[in-house]
Amino acid sequence: MSILIPALLLLLALAGAPLFAVIAASAMWGFFQTEVDLQVMAVEIYRVAEMPVLIAIPLFTFAGYLMGESKAPQRLVRITDAFLGWMPGGLAIVALAACALFTAFTGASGVTIVALGALLVPALQKAGYRENFNLGLVTTSGSLGLLFAPSLPLILYGVIAQQMSLETPVSIDDLFLAGILPGLLMLTALSLYSAWQSRHLPKSNHKFDGKEAWAAIKDSAWEIPLPFVVLGGIYGGFFAVSEAAAITAFYVLAVTVVIRREITFTQLPVVMRDSMKLVGAILLILAVSLASTNYMIDAGVPEAVFETIQAHVSDGFTFLLLLTIFLLILGMMLDIFSAIVIMIPIILPIAVQYGIHPIHLGILFLANMQLGYFTPPVGMNLFIASFRFNKPVMTLYRATLPFFFILLATVLIITYWPGLSLLLVE
Amino acid sequence: MKKIAVWLHRIEDAVLVLILLSMILLAGYDILARTLFGGGEGWIPPLLRVMVLWLGLLGALLATRSREHIAIDLISKLGGPTLNRIASVVTLLFAAVICALIGWYSGLYVEMAYEFEDIAFAEVPAWIMQLIIPFSFGLMAVRFFIQSISAAIYGPETEATPATDNVVAPEKVA
Repeated sequence: MSILIPALLLLLALAGAPLFAVIAASAMWGFFQTEVDLQVMAVEIYRVAEMPVLIAIPLFTFAGYLMGESKAPQRLVRITDAFLGWMPGGLAIVALAACALFTAFTGASGVTIVALGALLVPALQKAGYRENFNLGLVTTSGSLGLLFAPSLPLILYGVIAQQMSLETPVSIDDLFLAGILPGLLMLTALSLYSAWQSRHLPKSNHKFDGKEAWAAIKDSAWEIPLPFVVLGGIYGGFFAVSEAAAITAFYVLAVTVVIRREITFTQLPVVMRDSMKLVGAILLILAVSLASTNYMIDAGVPEAVFETIQAHVSDGFTFLLLLTIFLLILGMMLDIFSAIVIMIPIILPIAVQYGIHPIHLGILFLANMQLGYFTPPVGMNLFIASFRFNKPVMTLYRATLPFFFILLATVLIITYWPGLSLLLVE
Repeated sequence: MKKIAVWLHRIEDAVLVLILLSMILLAGYDILARTLFGGGEGWIPPLLRVMVLWLGLLGALLATRSREHIAIDLISKLGGPTLNRIASVVTLLFAAVICALIGWYSGLYVEMAYEFEDIAFAEVPAWIMQLIIPFSFGLMAVRFFIQSISAAIYGPETEATPATDNVVAPEKVA
């Protein structure tokens, strides 16, 4: 019986049952066995209303969707083009930088490919890049800003880690700092590859144009303060994440609807609804996993798993290697939000036993998951891109392959060089 | 029956939009009040936190309506039509049962909070704030059940009746 139910639940998950139902079922099965009244589910779900930082999730998501629907993506591409376009491989670097910034602000939900991809793929094509390169680049960039504040996966990791009452506290501000250098490493690696790819292209006569730069600045005048206020505010310690989210949502709403009027009052409820679908899906999984986490910790699951692993793996080096392989496979199957709420409660206590810093674990976990977004066969962004650009998924498998190996190399660096993540924190 | 569903959808949408709007305004006001006047209203932060729960669960209801819950979904991508159909019926029925159980037990919990006159914050009784839990899970159970039946009769749908006027391209969460 003890193995039957978990096996059944796993089968249901693989068969496409909503993950929240699977997680809830496993928690309820656990509580039922230990004779805890199932009303505890309501107590656990209500805990969503007791974590101040969660306010950031609906607010940032809404702001991101609203920006995605406005003309902000066009302006973002224009201004990055004006400032970075003159470099070798400039346009590709523009694409990478714009996508990273946009992903960080929209919470890595595939919105980037939909909103920016449509602008970038034709532009890259016109500049003479190969089609496979363009598709690969845009699909890969869809998850590129994941490690930069204020991305939702970073916030969610912090929320979960704070539930674990570790000896080393995990603050979300520290996570935001820790993500900067690893995120820049990924961005740089892909930029170098892009510059190298463009070596055969006819030398572009795209020079830095002061007039166009100034015009682009004026065009984006309303958006430019946003990253400075949000990132400066968070990194400078002026306000908390939830406050930054409140300011962002308020500001973006005022600019797009009242000042620029790019979204009408009739479109607004539709954008709100669409963004809240994603929020609902994430928060529901979080809510039920609070229950399953609680049960697992009470039942000593992490300790049991740790003892099993300890019997075979004695050093941190091997553990990290196995973890990377495991996370890559996990990333193919699970989206990043479910992966965080399901796996972190188990992995984090074990990793700490192997001497891995909780903040470093968060960064390497997310870096791995970022790869998972476009790892064949089921990475989510592959399907979004296939849908968006009307190309067979097989084409996208091939197109993303070189990018996959480049990012895999950076993931290994991030995994085995804790200092890169922890340098800014300490 | 259809009419009730349409009205229910409208009410859900309206409440959702209203909560999100008030959340943005209240959160904005709270920051202003604290920076400019040195102190905000004590009831705003706890209310904002409850709003997160409400938004999350109403959003989850929406995601149930348009079948956009996060799932692994290997079978519908790799399996054949018959397997696909069976998987749809079984998994949707399973989701319905789980939601019904959570709905039922949280209903009992809210009843207790009502009897014991628990207070959420200020003088607002906790049971009102918690009511969304049995409500949303109960309704999700009904929706999953209907979808399961319809999958059994008509075969699985990948996308339900497109939730009206989508301006955002529908991206499925794999």
